[in-house]
Order: sequence, then structure tokens, then C-alpha cells
Amino acid sequence: MNLQDEILSPLGTYEEGMPWNPVEKVILERRSIRAFKKEPLPDSMIERILEAGRYAPSAGNMQPWKFIVVNSPEILAEMEKDAQKIIRFFMFFLDYSRGNILRRLYILSWVKWVIRFMKNKLHPVPFCLMSQIAQGKTHVFHGAPTLILLAEDRRGVASPPTDIGICGQNMVLAAHSMGAGSCWIGLVQVLMYLPKWKRKFGITYPYHLNDCIALGWPNPKADGMVPREVQMVQWYEKGMHDAPRVKKQGE
Amino acid sequence: MKKFSLIDRLRIPTYDKLTHMQTADLYFDPKKCQQCGICIKICPGGCVVTDKVTKKEVWQDMKRGVKAGVPRVDRVKTGATLCIGCFDCGTACPHGAISLKKNFNPKYFFKRLTQTSEMRYPKKY
Repeated sequence: MNLQDEILSPLGTYEEGMPWNPVEKVILERRSIRAFKKEPLPDSMIERILEAGRYAPSAGNMQPWKFIVVNSPEILAEMEKDAQKIIRFFMFFLDYSRGNILRRLYILSWVKWVIRFMKNKLHPVPFCLMSQIAQGKTHVFHGAPTLILLAEDRRGVASPPTDIGICGQNMVLAAHSMGAGSCWIGLVQVLMYLPKWKRKFGITYPYHLNDCIALGWPNPKADGMVPREVQMVQWYEKGMHDAPRVKKQGE
Repeated sequence: MKKFSLIDRLRIPTYDKLTHMQTADLYFDPKKCQQCGICIKICPGGCVVTDKVTKKEVWQDMKRGVKAGVPRVDRVKTGATLCIGCFDCGTACPHGAISLKKNFNPKYFFKRLTQTSEMRYPKKY
């Protein structure tokens, strides 16, 4: 953390323009860590992080989650290998930015339709990441010594994915407050195309796996504040027929 | 606030065209850079590269002790970078040699509607 000597405000107070309090500091300085030391976190620390997840709020207190901790280097290596294999297979059909002009034009003619129907999974960011992985330029699980898979119980109240998000963010913040590094990895979904991994982790109905969290000691340390886009926020302050005031958040 | 028009709604951008995507860009200060290779190691997509080393080589410690060279952002043929402006490299850099030039902003279907292109650090309200 790059602001170590800074004075922090006590918790539970507010004055205008006061320094960050410890919770805000962890929230604002948390970065997704994608380079880890080889040695894993001690088991007691992982249990402490899971405890933060167990105490997350959920709709109707249904706790629609199942935690799976993967610590074995053998299984992690196998997962990495299989994920890369599946991504390479998909990108052979989808990646229109590689190869010669004929291949590019042919693929582009129908990939745009695929993107329309899978707009979240083939958003430019994961698309280009998968292209890089297929070319062997980067890793899927970043060589993390521990993975926590967050399986969601699809019978939860209202919107179980939201509950999973809250639960995972609790764990991630707890990990960073103790000096560990973490990263959300959604590409673990590709493993679910293989029945082998579904069976192995017991992800059958009612469970569904969307996300996992990579945990480990960061190497190098990369927590710190970064600039972010200014956000336009609508403030409804007057009557029913008045237009909202647009305020720039962060400027 | 920006509008999401019918054309935007119908048109899927081509990810490597500069007219369809504003990809982020970084500036590496050659005077401050000590060529340690940390930014190459930390980049999520492996798009910070130098002429001498790639991310995979830094990971395998194949070139330990060798200066990595001043990095640059990898570009595809059409000139678009692969950077999404997460600025992980900037927080990891021990010498403060990296600065963000542009933010990431796709157009058409994936257009961002409530964000502006100004980049700001957290503000104490």
C-alpha cells in the first residue's frame, strides 16, 4: 500500500474532507493482483477470509453459495492446461483478428451475430483476453497458489448472482486488508464445458459456477489508488416535473 | 449524458478498428524507467511488452538479471492497442514511470453512457 504513513480517520465518524478511514483505504487501494508468490497463504488465513464471505448479506438470508477451495498444485496445473485448451478451441472459430484476409472476412461475417447473442461473454475485453491466451501470451489463473470457487445455488431468493458478488467482494476486501492479493476470474466458466470438471467439483443442479477468486501473496505489491473515469450522476432534488441535476462524481 | 441511438444499438463494433474502439494508451517515461520488468509481469492481458522479453518469459524467470528494456503497449496491425486502462502497471511500478494517456472506450453497441473520458484520482468529499 503506497500511503502507509498517512493519518487515517477513526471509524464511525464523518467530517467534510477528512482523511480516508481504514475501510475506505482498503476499498480504494484494492487492485486485482495477477502475480503471486509460489507459497500459498496459511490455511488459517484462508479460513479467516472465508469467514468474511460467510457473514455476507444475502436476499432472505438464504446464503445461496458453496465455497470450494482448490490448493493442490497438481489440480491447478491441470485446470490451467484445460482452460487454455478450450479457449484455443473457441478462438479458432471466433478470432477474426488473426490469420489472413480471407479467413478474417469469412469469420467476421458470422461472428458479429454470435457476439450479439453472447454480448457479455464476447465483450471486447474478454474477447481480446481470450485471443491473447490462445496465442500463449498470458495465463488464465495467473499462477495463483489458491483458488476459491464460488458456486451459486440457483434456487436462492430473487437474484443469487448478486448475493455471490456481495459475498465475494467481502472476501476480497478481507484478503487485501490482511496484505494478501486477490483477483476475480470469470474465465473459470470455460471449464464447465467439460463434464470432467463439473463432476470433479460437484457443480450439478442446483449449483452453477460463474466466478472464482485467486488468492495468494502478491509479488510484486501492486495495491494503490488509480485514476478512474468521472461518472455523471443524476440528482433528483426538485419537484416531479423538474429535470434532474447532473453532477460529475469525482471531479 | 450520451445517447444510445438506434445505430449504436444495431451496430456491433469491430474490436481491432480504431474507428470502432478507443483503446487505452500508456506513456512510459524512459528517464524514470529502470527496466525491471514488473509492469510486464503484472499486465492482465500480456500487452505490455518490450523488444527483448514477453510476459511468458518474465514469468518463467528465463531472463533474470537481464534488463527488460523500456516497455511499450502491444498494438495490432490496425494500430489499436490491447490496453484497457486498468493501470495495474502504474500502481506496481516502483519508480512512477508510467502514466495513463487515454481511457478505454468502445463505441456503438458497447458505448459507455455515463462515464466521461477525464481520469481522476479518488476525491475526499
